[in-house]
Amino acid sequence: MLERRSIHSLDWLLALAVLALCAVSLGMVYSATLGGPLSPLAKKQLIYVALGLAAMIITLAVDYHTLASVSYLFYAASLVLLVYLLFFGRAIANTRGWLELGPVNFQPAEMTKITTLLALSSYLSRNRSSSLTPGNMGAILLIVGLPVVLIARQPDLGTALTFMPLVVVAVFLGGIRIRTILILVMIPILALPLLWTHYLQDYQKERVLTFLDPARDPKGAGYQVLQSRIAVGSGGLIGKGFLEGTQGQLKFLPAQHTDFIFALLAEERGFLGSLVVLSLYFIVIYRCIAIARAARDLLGVYLAMGMMALFACQVLINIGVVLGLMPTTGVPLPLMSYGGSSMITTLAGFGLVLNVWMRRLVN
Amino acid sequence: MTWDYRSSKDFKDYYEERRLQRRIGFVFVFLSGIFLAFLFKLWYLQVVNGESYRRLADNNRLRQVVENPLRGLLLDREGRPIVRNRIAFNVLLDREKIKQLDQTVATLSRVLDLPESTVRQRIARYRNRPVFEPVIVKEDVDMAEAAYLESRRLELPEISVAIEPKRSYEDGHLAAHALGYVGEISESQLGKPRYAGYQLGDVIGKAGVEVAYDGDLAGEKGWKQVIVNSLGREMRELPVGKRPVQGNALRLTIDLDLQRELEAAFEDKMGSAVFLDPYSGEVLAIISKPSYDPNVFARRFSAEEWKGLMDSETHPLQNRAIQSKFAPGSVFKIVMSIAALESGKASPARTDFCPGYAYIYGRKFLCHQEGGHGTLAMVEAIKRSCNVYFYHLGKDMGIEIISEWAHKLGFGQRTGIDLMHEEAGTVPDDAWKRRTRNEPWYPGETISVSIGQGAVEVTPLQMAVFASLIGNGGTQYRPHLLLRREIRGGVEEEAHAPEVVSKVEIKPSTLKVVKEAMWEVVNQGGTGTKAAIPGRDVCGKTGTAQVVKASAGVKSEKLAESIRDNAWFVGFAPRDNPRIAFAVFVERGGHGGEAAAPIAQRVMLKFFDKLDHPSEETRIARAPQHP
Repeated sequence: MLERRSIHSLDWLLALAVLALCAVSLGMVYSATLGGPLSPLAKKQLIYVALGLAAMIITLAVDYHTLASVSYLFYAASLVLLVYLLFFGRAIANTRGWLELGPVNFQPAEMTKITTLLALSSYLSRNRSSSLTPGNMGAILLIVGLPVVLIARQPDLGTALTFMPLVVVAVFLGGIRIRTILILVMIPILALPLLWTHYLQDYQKERVLTFLDPARDPKGAGYQVLQSRIAVGSGGLIGKGFLEGTQGQLKFLPAQHTDFIFALLAEERGFLGSLVVLSLYFIVIYRCIAIARAARDLLGVYLAMGMMALFACQVLINIGVVLGLMPTTGVPLPLMSYGGSSMITTLAGFGLVLNVWMRRLVN
Repeated sequence: MTWDYRSSKDFKDYYEERRLQRRIGFVFVFLSGIFLAFLFKLWYLQVVNGESYRRLADNNRLRQVVENPLRGLLLDREGRPIVRNRIAFNVLLDREKIKQLDQTVATLSRVLDLPESTVRQRIARYRNRPVFEPVIVKEDVDMAEAAYLESRRLELPEISVAIEPKRSYEDGHLAAHALGYVGEISESQLGKPRYAGYQLGDVIGKAGVEVAYDGDLAGEKGWKQVIVNSLGREMRELPVGKRPVQGNALRLTIDLDLQRELEAAFEDKMGSAVFLDPYSGEVLAIISKPSYDPNVFARRFSAEEWKGLMDSETHPLQNRAIQSKFAPGSVFKIVMSIAALESGKASPARTDFCPGYAYIYGRKFLCHQEGGHGTLAMVEAIKRSCNVYFYHLGKDMGIEIISEWAHKLGFGQRTGIDLMHEEAGTVPDDAWKRRTRNEPWYPGETISVSIGQGAVEVTPLQMAVFASLIGNGGTQYRPHLLLRREIRGGVEEEAHAPEVVSKVEIKPSTLKVVKEAMWEVVNQGGTGTKAAIPGRDVCGKTGTAQVVKASAGVKSEKLAESIRDNAWFVGFAPRDNPRIAFAVFVERGGHGGEAAAPIAQRVMLKFFDKLDHPSEETRIARAPQHP
């Protein structure tokens, strides 16, 4: 399965960037949960990283073509799991999306991202001509749509929406014309007033309004935005020091070990620390793109670009929220936020991408 | 479901390769742009505006916590504490440490002797407060309860005892109205300039000396800086701040021995009494009865308790010495005599015949002596308190002269004592009556005023100041309770200097007559013999003021207590260079000579006993201004 030659051709830059982010994550989760009732979480995060690395080695070791050949099985299995959850899932924060596995809770939706990615990539690499046919479009929407609908039913709209980059990548790379893309982009923009008046819930509207003007509700929805901005800004050039972030340590930052962990990092490590971590994320994305370009087949291209899209989208949304450039959404920062499901599946996903790179020269 | 990738035709062809590379390149440029935007935003937040956000973060976490100072002590004139601060023990419940609520409630209920429902109610009251804020389950528990709980910290980690300084009035009711009490500042008071810098929950003086000298007693607040978390819980104290400074101790003019003697002599009678130093206005003892225990205000007492005090028919919160106005009764005859002698309307030798009544303006006015006093001159008329003599004197002078002299002698205006809400009393005349009742003054009314009845009203304090003025030869001093401030560090400030309000020009001959008469009242078989102290030349004048008109000519003892006359006894001792002046007023007491004079005598006995056998403190405490 894993040839010596392949190991030599591993993308060490990507691997090291991913490992570095995991290390930073451990440090920040430790800092975020220090002294409070959350401190065992740092230990758990260490276990998650270890499990994630194990998953990564597995997805790296098995030839991605082999994985793709059984992708529909994986995909079907995850759909079954999602259906099961609708009836027997463990509810956490009103979302029936958790599977109880002994002492830990696992969120199958995260894993489904990878199985969907695999299934979509193998479909697209086999069934397409130079541009997308309506049949291709239907299949793409079906493959991504099924898990999205099931996850949205949990209801976990936030996680469901993180599948969208898969559609975007599939459609964009699949050969759709730029003019069509523009039309597709214009439709939601034009539909915005309708969306606002008819479909958005009050709390969602409030989030958007608070994003535009955090001061309108400084104790409620605007609190997170303001406190996050204060945490980031007060970090200054070099930061307040490890474990010295007052905003984080004194719990002014909401969800500081999950959704707002970047704010904690920015506070304790300042602009320089943020720059380093932002660079690591950029390297990961850059390498994914490079791997896609170097991939020997379309399957490899779709896998690398799909994973990149899933990853980049979450990174940009999360940091965008922390920096106050986007309304609060509740998306964790991949490879950084506390949480097992996200960590393990993200690492498994990068195993796939490394897999593509490693086997780019195989005939 | 499986398929062999090698058989599929998914190798990239040239055109597709170019298109893919272009599109992938576009994605890379697009994402790079977003990353650059993030970097720029981070730079803007952290480097450009870092300082201002750091200040905002400090505002978040740093709290200045005010530390309240202890109030200054109140001491008597010899330095003995009258009001101190004591430690109160409050039982607190830490909700974060509760393991079994039911068990904790049961324990608290048993140890603190409270119904379980009450304990639960108190916990429920904190429902919306941060969980780290302890619940005050019971305030001011006794030492035994506190010790019991403290010794069981290991078994009951959720229960603790906190100490809180409380104002402590050492003798309970003693001089309650003069000392006053403290309480939490009200919302309406917070808006006043006097209370700038105060916050809700601060304890301030509410009555008596406590409010009059609040500025001295309050001390200076301190502050400390603490780090708080997002819930407001104190995490750490920073080594900056300022210790609070205790308020100045105030040495009052009150002599604790005299005050106690007065309290004992008054027993449970209603009324008031004031004893002054006639050469300085220092209040040696002051009482208002019924009284209250100021200690009840030091704890947070219930609305019912407050209502009970406010609504009581006997008005225990009212300081009768300065706030209640009564008819002066026969004591006013001294004012009449001075007015007559000084205005030249009568000489000491003027005589009158008293058959027990007098017809004036077609109306019959009675003397209290059935059958009359016969013929008497002024000294005798004062001594025997003959009404008929003064009816005629009043008729001869008219209300304007009487009013003029009553004002000169300190009536109808506040004495200016250092207590709040003092009443001025009433000295009626034509202008007063037109102003207040829109009617002219009728001459018949002058006859009532001549014996201290009718519209004339005085406070017991005014009477004591008046007695001082007669005793010292015509000087009216501002009565006061502050002897001196004891500044921090034990260095004493200058003593409160006697303040002259007015010097009344009274001829020595006039004073001689009045003093002679007052001496005879006490020492020559007059109405005040029960105040006599051999060798002390006590001078005094009794007064028996009618509560209802029907009581004229009827023995007090025969009247129902509710309509019995009010009893006055006013005077000073000794006759020359007096050391003490006083006014004793017993509400519904009947005759002044019976009810009030013995009280004055008892306090004077104590006073002169101390004067004869002074301790070191007494010698220091005696004012040096005596002639």
